[in-house]
Amino acid sequence: MKVFILLLTLLSFIFAENYTFLVQPYSKEVELEAKIIAEIATASLHSKIKLFIPQISEMEEKVYSKYFTLSPKCEDANFVFINKNIEEESLCDNASRLFFTNNYRKLLANDKYFGALFWNKSRPNIVFSKKRLEAKAIILPKTFEQFIEIF
Amino acid sequence: MKKKFFFKYPFYFIVPTLLISTILALLFFSTLKIEESIEKKVFKISTSDIFSITNNSAIYIRSLLKESNNYPHDIKADKLLQHKIDNSLKTLITPNIKYAYLIHRDERGIFRFLGDASSSEEKAIIGQKLDIDSPEWLDIYTKNEPLLIQHSMLQQLSMTYLIPIMYQNHVELILAIDFSIQKIEEIKQIIKMIQRAILTVMVIIFIILLISIVQAMRFRSIRKTAFTDKLTNVYNRNYLQKYEDFINLDNYIMATLDIDYFKKVNDSYGHDVGDSILKQVANRILLTVRNNEDIVIRYGGEEFLILAKIQRDGNLDALNVIERVFSTIQENKFYISFDESIAITVSIGVNLVPQKSRTFSEAFKLTDIALYNAKNKGRNTIVIYDENENTQNACMSLNEIKDAIEENRILCYYQKIVDTQTQQLSHYEALLRIIDKNGSIITPDKILPSIKGTFILRNITKEVLKICHEQLRKNSAIVININLNPHDIIDEAILSILQNYAQSKNIATRMGLEIVETEDITQNSNAKENIFMLKQLGYKIFIDDFGSGYSNFNYLSEIRPDYIKIDGTIIQKILDDKLSFLLVKNIVSFAKEAQIKVIAEYVSDEMIYKKIKSLEIEYAQGFYFSIPAPLES
Repeated sequence: MKVFILLLTLLSFIFAENYTFLVQPYSKEVELEAKIIAEIATASLHSKIKLFIPQISEMEEKVYSKYFTLSPKCEDANFVFINKNIEEESLCDNASRLFFTNNYRKLLANDKYFGALFWNKSRPNIVFSKKRLEAKAIILPKTFEQFIEIF
Repeated sequence: MKKKFFFKYPFYFIVPTLLISTILALLFFSTLKIEESIEKKVFKISTSDIFSITNNSAIYIRSLLKESNNYPHDIKADKLLQHKIDNSLKTLITPNIKYAYLIHRDERGIFRFLGDASSSEEKAIIGQKLDIDSPEWLDIYTKNEPLLIQHSMLQQLSMTYLIPIMYQNHVELILAIDFSIQKIEEIKQIIKMIQRAILTVMVIIFIILLISIVQAMRFRSIRKTAFTDKLTNVYNRNYLQKYEDFINLDNYIMATLDIDYFKKVNDSYGHDVGDSILKQVANRILLTVRNNEDIVIRYGGEEFLILAKIQRDGNLDALNVIERVFSTIQENKFYISFDESIAITVSIGVNLVPQKSRTFSEAFKLTDIALYNAKNKGRNTIVIYDENENTQNACMSLNEIKDAIEENRILCYYQKIVDTQTQQLSHYEALLRIIDKNGSIITPDKILPSIKGTFILRNITKEVLKICHEQLRKNSAIVININLNPHDIIDEAILSILQNYAQSKNIATRMGLEIVETEDITQNSNAKENIFMLKQLGYKIFIDDFGSGYSNFNYLSEIRPDYIKIDGTIIQKILDDKLSFLLVKNIVSFAKEAQIKVIAEYVSDEMIYKKIKSLEIEYAQGFYFSIPAPLES
């Protein structure tokens, strides 16, 4: 009986991460980011969103999967959010999918991205390129108007 | 037990709980207030310098733009100006200030950067938009003065300070600094330390308060025990002593209650039954009086004091309470065992106007006089104190008598006993007097009832002996009779005094001892032996008031007195009442045979004198010959 209780205690410690969020690493920022991306993606696409985040972390996967169907491959996704510094050439093209970045400078430099969500002075900032939205025939709701920049 | 106590007396639970809750709430709110004011103060101290420096930067930027009439346009167009602004902003960056930047609001209402102290990747591009996190930012355009915004949502920033840079009375540019969370953390640490200090003080105060409350409750409980008579559950004498000065006599009528013949109950059934009867009587009283209005105190063995509260419409209700107590006790049976009961009656003295007395003790004394009168009227009755009736007859209290002894206000008056044949002085009878505080002479009928059976009576006897001894020493030609009560005859101290006096020459033979006839003497061998001893010492023994009580010729043979004094009430009737005449005649006849001399008391006129003379009574005493008076020197 003593051995059984000991085993039970050890097992409960081993799998503790599975049944209590308190011991899980957790980020408010990722949660907020996921919510905003979800709103943007929903406003930009009218089909079911399949999100691809390159080199997605375990925690991001856990948080984003609450809002999206995550796609393991870029080719299967219709919305790509690049939030890390990666070799962008290795990814699929933007012919039939939307690309979103977390870097304002990348947004300015690369026509592939139609918008960016980035942290500016520790505040979340959203910018859409008006020309690129028009090129993709994306019509955002009026509430997004303040985020659209003319370039 | 404790649970029961709290259920029975919810007061003891609710009041402390409310009190503690109130104290806690007060402590909590005062802590919050103190914290708030300290936080403000600490914040002001910590940030005032930063704000001053930032203001200086804003003044500097404005000075750079003094030639401009379109600040955003000119900054965007002039790289050198941008450089100067950025440098100025960089001076503001410290470990506590994370960002410093200059912004303006474009025609779409969007904030855009015109300068930024951040370096490399974080640095905003000129014209880059800034999404603000709170609509509070817009207030600066209406207030036209610096604005502090605190952040709760942002993880990295604690607060933002905005300084307007004005152009023609409107806000054209905004110099913004973002405080890192580190600054507020430092402030919070200081506040936390102060909070802990305050909290510690509060906890200590609370503990002290709690201890005080517990102690107060314990004191209350102990005091209640100290003031409650364990047997009867009414207040005890301690309560009376403690609170008599605080009882407002205007609010009460006062009654003293005495259980009739309670000594007989104790003697017949034992003290356990006596206690049980006391309990039952007290219980009846408590059931009859009004809760929280009337006060019941057991101030003696079987004596209770009732303070019945007067209502607005007079003291009738209060008197009704006393009458109800009287009749309830009269109507109820009091159990001496499981199935046996006895009837109990009480005597009650009532003082309807205790407020007229100067002190509680005085009011109590008058109530006690009423009780005394109730007992004198045969008990089982209520007597209300009548000021007029009792003014003349008021007895002295024990304390007054004690004071008189201590203050040497005891004295003797002397009445002559004369030889019937010659009407010449034979003896004096010493009669007790007390001078009261007003200088009036108080007679024994107002002294003895209060001290009967107490040690004070013994002390009075000693005083009288001392006075008479002194008189006999001064005047060797006189003989003085002293009244002793039967208890004096068996009192060692008094016997010792008499033995001492007998040592002096010519004292015992001139000191007659008048003892009231009582059965106790003949039944007490010590008393008889002591009388014989006193006779041998030379004292003459007189039996006082013979014929009034235990009149028995056998008594005379037992005691063998030298004199008998026929009771004055018989002598007074000797002219009119044949039986009294025959009684006196027979007493005289027997006394002559037994060689005992006879004294007739209360000889108040010549007719009585002639009558007793005809009966050959040897000595006479009464107003016909003299009234009691101090002895002439």
